[in-house]
Amino acid sequence: MRRLSLDGLSRRFGAVQALDAVSFGVEAGTVHALMGENGAGKSTLIRILSGLDRPGAGTVAVDGAPLPPGDPAAVQSAGIRVLHQELHVVPALSVAENMHLALPVPRRLGLVDWRRLNAAAAAALERLGLSRIAPAAPMGDLGPGDQMLVRIAATLIRPEGAAAPWLYVLDEPTAALTGAEAERLFAVLDELTGAGAGVLYVSHRMDEVMRLASRVTVLRDGAHVSTRPMADTSDARIIEEMTGRALSDLFPPRAGAAPGPVALSCAGLSAGPLRDAALEVRAGEILGLAGLAGSGRGALLRALMGALPRQAGTVRVGGRALGPGTAAAWAAGLAYVPRERRSEGLMMRRPVAENVALPHLTALARGRVFLDHARQRRLAESQGRDVALKAASVAQAVGDLSGGNQQKTLFARALAGAPRVLLLDEPTRGVDVGAKFDLYRLIRRLAGGGTAVILASSDLPEVLGLADRICVLRAGRLAQTVENDGLSEADLLTLCYGRDAA
Amino acid sequence: MSGIVRRFGSLIGMAAIVLFFAVSLPDTFLTARNWLNISQQISMLTVVAATMTVVMVMGDFDLSVGAMASLAGVIAAALFVAGWPVPVALASAVAVGLLGGIFNGVLVSVVGILPFVATLATLTVFSGLAFVVSDGRTVFGRDIPEGFAALARGGLPLGSADGRPLVLPNLTLIAAAVVAAVWVVLEQTSYGRRLAAIGGNAEAARLAGLPVTWLRLSAFAFTGAGAAVAGLMYASRVASANPTQGDGLMLTAIAAVFLGMTLTRGGQPRVLATLAGVVVLGVLDNGLTQMRVDSYVREVLVGAIILLAVGASALGRRSWRRQG
Repeated sequence: MRRLSLDGLSRRFGAVQALDAVSFGVEAGTVHALMGENGAGKSTLIRILSGLDRPGAGTVAVDGAPLPPGDPAAVQSAGIRVLHQELHVVPALSVAENMHLALPVPRRLGLVDWRRLNAAAAAALERLGLSRIAPAAPMGDLGPGDQMLVRIAATLIRPEGAAAPWLYVLDEPTAALTGAEAERLFAVLDELTGAGAGVLYVSHRMDEVMRLASRVTVLRDGAHVSTRPMADTSDARIIEEMTGRALSDLFPPRAGAAPGPVALSCAGLSAGPLRDAALEVRAGEILGLAGLAGSGRGALLRALMGALPRQAGTVRVGGRALGPGTAAAWAAGLAYVPRERRSEGLMMRRPVAENVALPHLTALARGRVFLDHARQRRLAESQGRDVALKAASVAQAVGDLSGGNQQKTLFARALAGAPRVLLLDEPTRGVDVGAKFDLYRLIRRLAGGGTAVILASSDLPEVLGLADRICVLRAGRLAQTVENDGLSEADLLTLCYGRDAA
Repeated sequence: MSGIVRRFGSLIGMAAIVLFFAVSLPDTFLTARNWLNISQQISMLTVVAATMTVVMVMGDFDLSVGAMASLAGVIAAALFVAGWPVPVALASAVAVGLLGGIFNGVLVSVVGILPFVATLATLTVFSGLAFVVSDGRTVFGRDIPEGFAALARGGLPLGSADGRPLVLPNLTLIAAAVVAAVWVVLEQTSYGRRLAAIGGNAEAARLAGLPVTWLRLSAFAFTGAGAAVAGLMYASRVASANPTQGDGLMLTAIAAVFLGMTLTRGGQPRVLATLAGVVVLGVLDNGLTQMRVDSYVREVLVGAIILLAVGASALGRRSWRRQG
């Protein structure tokens, strides 16, 4: 049985001890989860393991033989493949070309041997049961999930003389994937471990880890907390170990107050994939939107917000019809936290203050024209405190913050106008448990204060933990609205798939 | 130490250039007269580069400014020849610049053509129109009203040196006014911060309720009008107008904005940084000319210095990112 051993790994950046004498082992044939909040040292550990960074002390060894530090090629030839979180693909090149980016391209007479190139790619895809993906198709035509699977398949292509990979390191592989795409990834992981490979699986998502991993290692503040067989631990214990505090319940209790008047309603709403949707949400109520990927959860929010042009139907906010466009929506008291914080939400290189103020610039201007920089800063500071944002100052670039604090910046922006209706699309995606807890409390508090909240999420425990009522969408239609009363995750999933709850 | 070099490397480089000329040209370079002269030499470029900054904060740019400067000059000259009063002719030429800029804006933001392609096409259109309007000839001499030529020669008296009066040229005052106006618009109004937001993340700006199409369109109007004003300043200074005289402004203006971006935190275009970039280019041109460096060699040197500054800034940013 091949084995990767990390022994006493330490790494210091200035005053920060990013890793402090971390030791554990990973064995072939199993999925080993690595968990920890942002800043716990997961990324540093992965960088050292992949040879991109050198440890201050300690060694990485395969089968007892230490690997030279800071040497990615040695890691490769030891049979370890690291798939980093960011998708490194070239959308304009074909699937087969992307699979050969890091490999020698097969050649004949000095020219690319397209037949062999495509055949090698097809064989690798086939091995993972991915023959539906055509090697000659442009990479850009694939969704992020299939792109991830193609990258895994690429590691199966072996140039002559190279060792077969036996250990895969996956860093947050499902961060950009939909539920169905994640399922395909899990099937591939089963294939790999079934064939004797090991997986070191870094994830925030407790349900995935509980389901996939046979062992779990928890890091906190750079230190190794525990490595246990899954049978000896539980999600509550892992969360406790990650955060260092007991989370008796991730979700704060519901206030139980009766909801107020209807804050937002829509009827006959069609936009993008969405057909004929009707719903209403009351002040102080949290309405969950559940559904499989592609069911139109996100599209419904975008249509309400005016970001997706409405082909038919009306939206009313506080009884008054809402005009088209996002500006009208913000002006009517809607606020929106988009799904993709990097591409749709934040100006990564701009300060927190500018990011918070973005939709409120007119309100912050003297005479509606001249921007009041001091007021902008004060607004960002007070909103930042309100959402428990941790940043050196509001002048810090938002891209320098952790994922959780980036998400809190988006919440600060949405709340700065004291919205009547808050639209949240995957509000805790890619956020560590501590920040998640903060955001859940915040959402509850807002609802308690009379804000109507519509929450679309692929995270079923999140919907069940927060929502008062749940709308289930199927294939662009609002199929059912249920009270969130004694529903289990299985019940909700069954509804999403379109059968009646058992 | 390395942090200081990274942050202020371009400023140190600029100071070194000034020092070099001050030592090489001890009698003429560091005189008030020479700096007033430089300020006039760079005034046209300042106006074009400052208004170019307005579109560059959105991540766009405008290749047609040089052609527009030429067009505005010959339109004013043609109107002078037709006997229009000077103020009306000038206002008409600026209006043409404004319309040309709006046209660019429509192509980029409403039609959705890439700025490179759209403004490359309008560069050709404006340049062609300049030849059509002028019939390919230079307008000069008695066709140019005395009042128009006097504009560039006049200025604010500042006293005298060596028995000759020192004058702050009108063109410098115009350039300063344009820089001040662009600074107020970009840095002090919510309109300007919205343009910066589009440069930061256009989709986020749209979802936050910003009228992105209208904002992009309107920003191009500034650049068009700025180009026209610069073309008129040039025509006034040389008391003539021909259909190619503004063409060189475009590349230099973009270079000045890029030079300025090496000075700002996060490498973002800002108008005062652009002004610093323009000054560097102007000082180089002035000093090298006084040292009688051949004009072709001068171009090679200026290009090399731009590459050096932008390259050093890119390298500095990369090492910073590696640490972060």
